[in-house]
Amino acid sequence: MADSYLVDPDVGFINEVSRLGGADVKKCYQCATCSVACPISPDTKPFPRKEMIAASWGLKDRLIGSGDVWLCHNCGNCSTLCPRGAQPGDVLAAVRAAAVIDYATPKALARMVSDPKKLPILLAIPAAIFLVVGLLLKMVGVDWLNFNPTGDDLWQADYIHNYLVDIIMIPTFFGAVAVFALGLKRFLAAIHSDAVKEGKTDKEKIDPAGFFQALIRTVPTILKHEKFNECTENRDRSTAHMMVLFGFIGLFIVTNAFFAAEWVFHIEGPYRQINPVKWLGNLGGILLIIGGFLLLKARLAKKDQASSYWDWYLIGLVLALGITGMLTQMLRLGGMYDLSALVYFVHLLFIWGLFAYTPFSKLAHIVYRTTAMTYNEYSGRK
Amino acid sequence: MDKKYGVYICEGCGIGESLDVKALCGVPEEEGVPVKSHPFLCGKAGVELLKKDVADGTNTLVLAACSRRVNFDIFRFDGCIVDRVNLREGVVWSHPRSDFPALTEEEKQDEDNFDRVQMMAEDYIKMGMVRVEKIKLPEPYVVENLSRKILVLGGGIAGMSAAIDAAKTGYDVTIVEKTAALGGYAAKVRKQTPVSAPYDALIPPVVAAKIAEVEALANITVKIETEVARIAGQPGEFTVTLKKPGEKIPFDVPFPLPDEMKVDDSGNELDAEKQHEAYLAYNKGKNDILKLDPDGELFGAVILAAGWRPDNLKGDGYAHLGYGALPDVITNHEFEEIAKAGKIIRPSDGKPAKSVVFVQSPGKDESDSDFAYAGAVTSMVALKQAKYVREDYDDGKAFIFYQHMRTTGLSELFYKGLQQDPGIFMTKGAVMGVAKNGNGMIVDAENTLLGEKLQVKADLVVLGAGMVPVTKDDPVINLAYRQGPGFRDVGLFNGYVDSNFICFPYETQRTGIYAAGAIRRSMSMAESMEDATGAALKAIQCLESVNRGVSVHPRSGDMTFPDFFFQRCTQCKRCTEECPFGALDDDEKGTPKPSPTRCRRCGTCMGACPERIIGFADYSIDSVGSMVKAVGVPSEDDYSEPPFRILGLVCENDAYPALDMAGLNRLSYSADVRLIPIRCLGSMNVIWIKDALSQGMDGVFLLGCKHGDDYQCHFVKGSELAEIRMKKIGEALASLALETERVAQFEVAIDDYDKVPQIINDFVESIEALGPNPFKGF
Repeated sequence: MADSYLVDPDVGFINEVSRLGGADVKKCYQCATCSVACPISPDTKPFPRKEMIAASWGLKDRLIGSGDVWLCHNCGNCSTLCPRGAQPGDVLAAVRAAAVIDYATPKALARMVSDPKKLPILLAIPAAIFLVVGLLLKMVGVDWLNFNPTGDDLWQADYIHNYLVDIIMIPTFFGAVAVFALGLKRFLAAIHSDAVKEGKTDKEKIDPAGFFQALIRTVPTILKHEKFNECTENRDRSTAHMMVLFGFIGLFIVTNAFFAAEWVFHIEGPYRQINPVKWLGNLGGILLIIGGFLLLKARLAKKDQASSYWDWYLIGLVLALGITGMLTQMLRLGGMYDLSALVYFVHLLFIWGLFAYTPFSKLAHIVYRTTAMTYNEYSGRK
Repeated sequence: MDKKYGVYICEGCGIGESLDVKALCGVPEEEGVPVKSHPFLCGKAGVELLKKDVADGTNTLVLAACSRRVNFDIFRFDGCIVDRVNLREGVVWSHPRSDFPALTEEEKQDEDNFDRVQMMAEDYIKMGMVRVEKIKLPEPYVVENLSRKILVLGGGIAGMSAAIDAAKTGYDVTIVEKTAALGGYAAKVRKQTPVSAPYDALIPPVVAAKIAEVEALANITVKIETEVARIAGQPGEFTVTLKKPGEKIPFDVPFPLPDEMKVDDSGNELDAEKQHEAYLAYNKGKNDILKLDPDGELFGAVILAAGWRPDNLKGDGYAHLGYGALPDVITNHEFEEIAKAGKIIRPSDGKPAKSVVFVQSPGKDESDSDFAYAGAVTSMVALKQAKYVREDYDDGKAFIFYQHMRTTGLSELFYKGLQQDPGIFMTKGAVMGVAKNGNGMIVDAENTLLGEKLQVKADLVVLGAGMVPVTKDDPVINLAYRQGPGFRDVGLFNGYVDSNFICFPYETQRTGIYAAGAIRRSMSMAESMEDATGAALKAIQCLESVNRGVSVHPRSGDMTFPDFFFQRCTQCKRCTEECPFGALDDDEKGTPKPSPTRCRRCGTCMGACPERIIGFADYSIDSVGSMVKAVGVPSEDDYSEPPFRILGLVCENDAYPALDMAGLNRLSYSADVRLIPIRCLGSMNVIWIKDALSQGMDGVFLLGCKHGDDYQCHFVKGSELAEIRMKKIGEALASLALETERVAQFEVAIDDYDKVPQIINDFVESIEALGPNPFKGF
């Protein structure tokens, strides 16, 4: 604190935050109503007042390296009470988007994910991968892609073999994990150094065991949506968000279960509807669709809240995943196999997008927010 | 006029229920004065009754009803003397029967019992009757050579706006401008703060349009390179001598002798004659103030819009900011000159200044004061100039470090607008220093909103220097008044022209001179233009009052003026010196020469005069003194336990309305007080207090306005002068073996209605503790 901080505002960052939904940031006049209004901000060094001035001064390093922006759950209490309409909630959301982009490697891909004009390219990439890999394998005699299978009771794997799906999806998934790992390393170092500098923690180093214990303590908080439930303004989202989160968790379990069935036990699908795993899958799909629609409705209803493409992307993805997944199953059960396979192909594109683009999209919050909350728990900040 | 009296007692609003009206009617009847009571005097039938009596010849009416502050239009009868006896607010409402029970029939049998409230009402009726007996109908004072022309001093945005407004209303206006061109500072800026909706961005200067408008109006005369040598005479007939700036002419106004020249070498005060000699020597070559320039031009009223000058930052207080030492540390005025000339460049090397730091407060972390004479305009100028940086350079950055960002009223929209620029950065903070850093500079700030010590690299540092009113350096108006050429109390206002800025913004302490624009307080151009309209209206009000022989302000429409019985004047000069408005000049002998249209009719001269030779047609030493004497002072001869009797002389501007409001709110106070409204405590003549005590009253209190540096007196000095006189009366009381505590003065603001009953009751209690006046009954 004794040292002077040489300020060199980054106007480009201010413009970036504006583009990502924080266009009102400059309206702030530092009354700190937001920090008082915030139900989840800590008592020491509360947000979002200090983030507001840092953003309006273009102090990119401070915000990208701050864990606090991730503690925010975008309740919106601050935006509702802000006397100047500076929308601190939206600004922090935009700052988080900027942070995701900054921690992502390669950054160019992150910029594409945040740009609606690039969406067709992003969808064309998995389509090309599936077709190219499938056709290449076909040329060497591995027939995992069949445009015109015959027989009764067909299912999507008769068109696009599960092995083809898996050999593409699994590296994609681990690739995303690797991208996250790179980002997380920098992120954790940054938020720790920021916390030390700002006196938010008395821990000098991050002790892995302690950090893991903090994670164990944090996960139930996240699952129970405790922070969400402290919100008053945007509380409706809590249920919808919970549905989507649990939908994803359920589907992740189902995917792993069927992966094991396929690769370990060699049990071929389609599985019977009375199979409990199948129940879980259907439940997950329904939760995703209903939760997605509720989120969509909540966003559309909140006219005073900025909704950028960054936000619509994620809701769109959730709904697209849920709808294409359920539709694939329903068309198959209805005997419309070709159409079912086509929808399944689209579904696969979204799944690939889910894996590949998560570190570059709003969904990355699942990692960054969890990390930040864990760090906060670990640091013992009051 | 032959007075034909009539007393009318209203029974409405609770008066009839509370008081024995029949007994009240006995008061005038005893004097042989016709009296009528009416259940609802301000109603149609009541007013008809009054009108009929007036038609039948009654011309002197005492209306015992409500306060004179209400229904004044209904109870106005032209050509008649009317006194309003305040039975409603002053007696029955403020002394409810629940607190002051009436006598029962049984109690009435015993003559030793008395009804305090009834006594009060009877006294007030007596006082009203004696007052109308003593006063006269006023006759207007008319100036000999009425001029309806308005003189505007200053050709800047405020002066031109005032001239345009007055000229469009049909008045002839002359603008006197010291420099060679109209426009003032408004012509020296690149862009200016907004003057109309939506108020959110810079606009091109509006001054050119103003100049064109001035030039297009046939009834505006512009005199450039001209200033005022002297303004003599009085509103309605000011004789103005103009001259070239810097010229020395015989009609330059003489200045009063400075205090240090009023004493001899050993520090003893010179006698009057020697002082006069010194005064003449001091003003050698200048004509006396009473000598009118035969070639002078006549004006009816003056608008003073001479504006401001940029403050020169001098002294050690700015060394840490590098001002004077570093060539690229400049004032906002110097920055504006650069901006007007072209792109923002550094004075040191002419290179673009792309990072500019604006410093609003020089006090480091020790004081959060802004630069002297800074204000809302300085804040807005910093915002404006920050925008210049952004206009000139896409990659330009402007930083504003402030302790106060003052954007008042609609200028908040301007702040909001400029705040949106991504390259303008603002924070509250203490600027600790500016240091050289390679080719540029580095600015250190602490306690910023960013939470720590900051450093910013700067190509240019701009200091938010203030706007100094030109009246700080010079009287400007050069009035040929005995009290001096300028405004007496500008020192109280740091040189700004002002008299009572809360209530009467345009009034200076000199009637007929109305200030507008930045000479009054620092103002933006939008504010100056609006302010000019106000001053123009005041100048017009002055002309349209003087022409009818009535007072301009604050007793607007008052036709009375002080009348002097000069045969008995002892040339003591107290009236000349104490008049808050410089209305009295004195000749060589010291005899006061009144200028009635300068007068505001406060009566301070009347209160000051030890010979008691000054009075108004309807307000005089005798009229108030007789009211004091009309108060019944019961003694032990009348009752075994006679009530105390306490006189209150009440300022009618603040204290009297507060008392009315107390009555309106049914707040009660002692029924042993008798209140007399007076024009101003300044008009209080101590003879009234002496009269009251010598007739046996037990105490006297004055209720007046707050005085001191932040006075609230309508007449600036009244309550302050009253206090000085009260101190002197204390000595006289002591010599009569009367306790000085029997006389007191209290400060009351108009909104103190809830406190004033307590003030009165506490005083009454303190008098009761002292016991009755030993002179009672003599």
